[in-house]
Amino acid sequence: MSLVGPLLLATLLFSIGVYGIIARRNAVLVLISVELMLNAVNINLVAFQNLLFPAEAAASGQLFALFIIGVAAAEVGVGLAIVFNLFRNRATVDVDRVDAMRW
Amino acid sequence: MMTDPSLMVQSAWLVPVLPLASAALIALFGRRLPWHGAEIGIAAILAAFALSAGIAWETFTTVDPAPYEVAFAWSPLGGGFVLELGMLVDGLTSMMFLLVTIVSSMVQIYSREYMHGERRFTYYYAMLSLFTFSMLFLVISNNTLQAVVGWELVGLCSFLLIGFYWEEKSNQDAANKAFLTTKFGDVGLIVGVIVLSAGMFGLTDTPFNFLQTIDAAVAGELSSSTIVLGMLLIFVGCISKSGQMPLHVWLPDAMAGPTPVSALIHAATMVTAGVFLLARLFPVLAQSATAMAVIAVVGVITMFFGGLLALVQDDIKKILAYSTISQLGYMVAAIGVGGYTASIFHLFTHGFFKALLFLGAGSLIHAVHSNNISAMGGMRRSMPITFWTFTIGSLALAGFPMTAGFFSKDEILIAGDLWALNGLATGSAVYWVGLAAAFVTTFYMARAWFLIFFGEHRGAPHDDAHGHGGHDDHEADAHDAHASHHSEPHESGRLMTVPLMILAVLSLTAGLIGSPFLQEQPNFESWTSTPVIEKTTYPFLAEYADAGVGVSAAEKGPSAKILHGPPTWHADLLLIVLVVFGSAVGLAWRFYGKGLPEKDPMLHMGGFTRVLVNKYGFDDAGYRYVVVPVRDRMSAWATKVSNDVIDGAVAGVGTATMRMARTTYTAVDQRIIDGGVNGAAFSAAWWSARLRRIQSGDVQRYAGALVAGVILLVLAFVAVR
Repeated sequence: MSLVGPLLLATLLFSIGVYGIIARRNAVLVLISVELMLNAVNINLVAFQNLLFPAEAAASGQLFALFIIGVAAAEVGVGLAIVFNLFRNRATVDVDRVDAMRW
Repeated sequence: MMTDPSLMVQSAWLVPVLPLASAALIALFGRRLPWHGAEIGIAAILAAFALSAGIAWETFTTVDPAPYEVAFAWSPLGGGFVLELGMLVDGLTSMMFLLVTIVSSMVQIYSREYMHGERRFTYYYAMLSLFTFSMLFLVISNNTLQAVVGWELVGLCSFLLIGFYWEEKSNQDAANKAFLTTKFGDVGLIVGVIVLSAGMFGLTDTPFNFLQTIDAAVAGELSSSTIVLGMLLIFVGCISKSGQMPLHVWLPDAMAGPTPVSALIHAATMVTAGVFLLARLFPVLAQSATAMAVIAVVGVITMFFGGLLALVQDDIKKILAYSTISQLGYMVAAIGVGGYTASIFHLFTHGFFKALLFLGAGSLIHAVHSNNISAMGGMRRSMPITFWTFTIGSLALAGFPMTAGFFSKDEILIAGDLWALNGLATGSAVYWVGLAAAFVTTFYMARAWFLIFFGEHRGAPHDDAHGHGGHDDHEADAHDAHASHHSEPHESGRLMTVPLMILAVLSLTAGLIGSPFLQEQPNFESWTSTPVIEKTTYPFLAEYADAGVGVSAAEKGPSAKILHGPPTWHADLLLIVLVVFGSAVGLAWRFYGKGLPEKDPMLHMGGFTRVLVNKYGFDDAGYRYVVVPVRDRMSAWATKVSNDVIDGAVAGVGTATMRMARTTYTAVDQRIIDGGVNGAAFSAAWWSARLRRIQSGDVQRYAGALVAGVILLVLAFVAVR
């Protein structure tokens, strides 16, 4: 199996994530875009592990991917908590309107 | 033989420190004490006297005591130039200690009664203590510079005490005259000290040290010009301080001070300073025939012509003042003819009998309320103690055989005689003029004695007592209340008569330690000699160096030694002295034996009297050629210089400084420094106003920037690869 397919997929997902982060206004969608980017990285890690270093017993690529999944879960938990509080206080989840920390 | 000096000698510094401490204590607490400070002064001076007596006894009994020298060194400029504050204790120092502390303690005890009820009584006692300290500080010093400090302090204290009754203009003038006249000589002294130290510079680190200067001079390491110039300039200081002609003019006027102060000035402090300094530096002086001859001539002139002035005086204190000038002339002349021992011996005995005479005169003035002998008369009946003690003092001053003055004055005459044997004419001058001056001395003392104590009491004309000069008028005023209810004068109280009696005993006996009765050592000569003086010979008498080793006055012969050996009896001189004494007293008795004649022969001698009354014109000449030019021209000129040049320079410096400050303020401070600070602040504000726009609060913009940054970094990374 060639690396090209997984890498293209990962690139596509990452780019979509970047676009989502920069362009979407909905905070929930921004969080989802972050998830997309994390999972693109996960795909990269797994693909490189399996296709370039299949013999490594430690399988650190997969291990990192598992870590990232765990961290991403935590991140989503925190992120959603922020979004809930934001909605509760401001009745909006539009990130453009959350600029209290400007100059 | 060297022995370790005892604790007493080592603590000799206490002798000057005690009066200094008492001066401070009196000034601080004197007013609150029952005797207004007198008790502190008397206690301190008596303690100093006790210590001095111990030191004197030790130096007297020790054979050949080595001078004990201790000094603190201070090197303000570094590198081979050391100033010292130290003490030098030898026979000469301890002799002066003894004299100063005895006279000062007598004067202070006496003053307790004499000055009683006086305004500024406490101040007076503080000044007496300070005066005594100054003199002791001068005496104890181990270097010329410290001696100059003591010398100036003595001058200051004399100024303050002579001007004690400053409410009267004449007394202020007297104080100023004393201060300025002695100050004139002080300039000479300081220059002389500098000349000597300049000669010592390079030979030693301590160019002012007495012993080192003496050693260098004796070893011939100082050039003869340094010695002659240095010693003669120092002698100028002695001329003014020790009342030698022509700078003696301040001394009679110094009588404006209270009488006990006169006793202190004339007997123990102040006037003896000059003779002491000459004696201290005598081995240096001995190197120069010129300097010694000049000193001898000045001394001879002073002893005779100073004495003559006393003949026409009516004021008892002025008689004694001129007598002091004359006696100081003896001492200075003796120094000039190699009579080292004789000179300081006369200084020693003169201190006692002159203090006695002044205190006696004070006792008379206290009783009569006038200074004038024409207002006294018949005092022997009313004041027996004063009469007897004053008689003893007069006899000692006149050199009556077996009194203190006899031994010391004869020593001086013998020293002159021996000097004449060495072929130096000044010796004969001292001998013959000394005898003539002795006649004059005896005559004026006999005149005063007859007029004061014999005949009828004349009393002070009332308008005179208050209008005239007013030397002790304040004192008189203070006692007017109780003087009014008994017109007859009465004997002074015990605090005044006991010091008189003590000094009378000393005036009779103090001469014995230098008399021919004391042939064996220790005697006065061995006491006051130092190892240097014993070794030193006069270089200009080199041909006699071997002739008279240990020559005594008996086996007269030429000698280059400084010491003359123990004194011996001189039947011929004794006879001459008796004839002189007898004829002078006889003459005085003829004139004054029956009271004050209508025409005082002393005041009716035509031109001679006029010359004496005018004091040889010294005061007039001094007024016309010194005071007037200085006051009218030089001071105006100095004012102009001060106003135009010095003030101008000061103002110029001030203006220039101000202008420079203003330039600095506008250019440097306002533009550069403030500009820099403000510029930094303004640019920070300007930049922050723009840079803060970045802080938009828009999370997505941050993310975009982050991505752009990453892309840029990656591109840069690729490009570098």
